[in-house]
Amino acid sequence: MHAHVTRLADIFAMLGGVILFLIVMVTTTNTGAFILDRFMGLFGQDVPGLPGYEDFVQLAISGAALMFFPYTQASRGHVAVDLFVANAPMPVKRVLDHMWLTLTAAIALFLAYWMVHGMLESRSDAAEAGVLGWPIWPFYLPGIASMVLWAVVSVSQIFGDARYA
Amino acid sequence: MLDPITIGVVGLVVLFVLLMLRMPVGIAMILVGIGGTYALSLALPYVRFVPYIRQFKSLLWENVANYDLSVVPLFVLMGYIAAEARLSSDLFKGLEALLSRLRGGVAMAAIAACGGFGAVCGSSLATAATMGKVALPELKALGYKDRLSAGALAAGGTLGILIPPSVALVIYAIIVEGSILKMFQAAVIPGLLAVLSFIGVIAILVRVNPSLAPEPRPMPREERNIALKRLFPVILIFGAIILGLGFGLFTPTPAASIGVFLIGAYGFALRALTGEGLNMAGLRRALQATAITSGMIYLILFGAEVLKGFFTRSGLPQALSEWAANSGMDPMLVLVIMLIAFVVLGCFMESLAMILVVVPFFWPTLIALNGGEYVTAETAAYGMDTESLKIWFGILALIVVELGLITPPVGLNVFIISSLAKDTPMSTVFRGVMPFLGSEVIRVGLILMIPALTLTIPRLIGG
Repeated sequence: MHAHVTRLADIFAMLGGVILFLIVMVTTTNTGAFILDRFMGLFGQDVPGLPGYEDFVQLAISGAALMFFPYTQASRGHVAVDLFVANAPMPVKRVLDHMWLTLTAAIALFLAYWMVHGMLESRSDAAEAGVLGWPIWPFYLPGIASMVLWAVVSVSQIFGDARYA
Repeated sequence: MLDPITIGVVGLVVLFVLLMLRMPVGIAMILVGIGGTYALSLALPYVRFVPYIRQFKSLLWENVANYDLSVVPLFVLMGYIAAEARLSSDLFKGLEALLSRLRGGVAMAAIAACGGFGAVCGSSLATAATMGKVALPELKALGYKDRLSAGALAAGGTLGILIPPSVALVIYAIIVEGSILKMFQAAVIPGLLAVLSFIGVIAILVRVNPSLAPEPRPMPREERNIALKRLFPVILIFGAIILGLGFGLFTPTPAASIGVFLIGAYGFALRALTGEGLNMAGLRRALQATAITSGMIYLILFGAEVLKGFFTRSGLPQALSEWAANSGMDPMLVLVIMLIAFVVLGCFMESLAMILVVVPFFWPTLIALNGGEYVTAETAAYGMDTESLKIWFGILALIVVELGLITPPVGLNVFIISSLAKDTPMSTVFRGVMPFLGSEVIRVGLILMIPALTLTIPRLIGG
């Protein structure tokens, strides 16, 4: 199970990466248009930028950032202070590790639960991005799925990650 | 019933205990933030826990859906793509071609390459790891003593945190509500000063003890020409990013996006033309590394947001700043104590987490000591207005935070270099780092005494 969950976290991370590349392409196009506009302005020509560019970046990064969480967990990348427990006996390290993994899963599910409420509220309020006018609620979905996967990865590490076995 | 300040202090103590028990930093921050607010709701009638908890409906999403913060994963990605596209090794070889005539020149080239790579990579650990992989084998093959080569690379890695664009500078600017661009501009002279002082340290070391470095062996003409030819596009790309940012041609997010685009395009073109450079496997590795680093940063940022809510409600930062303002202590002494606290905490805490936990306490205290938010430079205790104080303190704080990366007992950069140079023990790297640490202390002293070193460029460009 642990291997499958890690693979899924990897897929989420790659999808987050694809979103980052979309941001790169949109931002580069917009900046290119801005520079061209300054240049063409000398000849009385206008080159428009991408309307709602900042809205797009905000909405897109909300998905990408949260989609990285499960892979960070799968890679044990969420930073912790090693110094004081480094020389503790192995059983102590294992108990602490399992406690924190359980707590991490609980916090991830807590965040997922409240994000579902946030998404429903955003939908009932018909909240939209300022310039683009896109509805905001669908952009909660990658985050909710990522929080659930983050919890599953944490639980799978209790049983499948032999770090302190 | 406990008073709110005491609850704030207990929360701080619990946070440090949880961190010492190896709880992930972001999780500990969230837990203490929520638990502390619950304790406050029992003590204070106006703090209501249920409406507070309902904020989590949108708190996380709004925290990550932030245009300014989008620059963080983009800068991280830029650094990892540059490493995969072999720009780091082209940079090192090109600088080696220029400096190999000097005794210790290859170690100097490694320092300069760390500085150059810091210009596309916002992280010290990534700079140390990337340049360590590139330069350590070469230094060893040429006959450099482990103490010098490992010490130079561990110290050189710290340049990543300060030389713009830096993730830590972005986060500091967001905490104190300052300009990211001005912070980048302010970091240029201190960053260059660090590169020059590290090169100076190597020059002195090899003069005092010539056995540390082999006789200089200039690179053969043909190899030199190839190295310089490949250095040119690297300088062009890195220069475009730095100058574009420095002169305000573009803001950080476009700069990072253009950087990723240019480095990616160059890497793939290099691959198509020479067989070296960026391929799909490298791109995948860069994305995976970006996911790990960005996920870690975003969780700490969210944890800090939750924790900040608790501390602000407890009134602890305000109480601390009022106490400092009324204590009659010399403002400069308080600043020095704060910097020492950063060094001590930096010995065991991750640098970003430390900035996020500590700066919200120190910053209001500094404003109070300086004479308030709207003080003018003429009447301020530090001789500068709040905007300038933000910049000056930020640069000082970041330099001392980076010292934590090379000081015992943890010294994460030392750990990385020691693991890369497999037969070099940690103690050798720590001994090698000591002279560089000395030069860092001098640099902090200089910037403390001469604030113009940080403030000149933002004033010249920003007006």
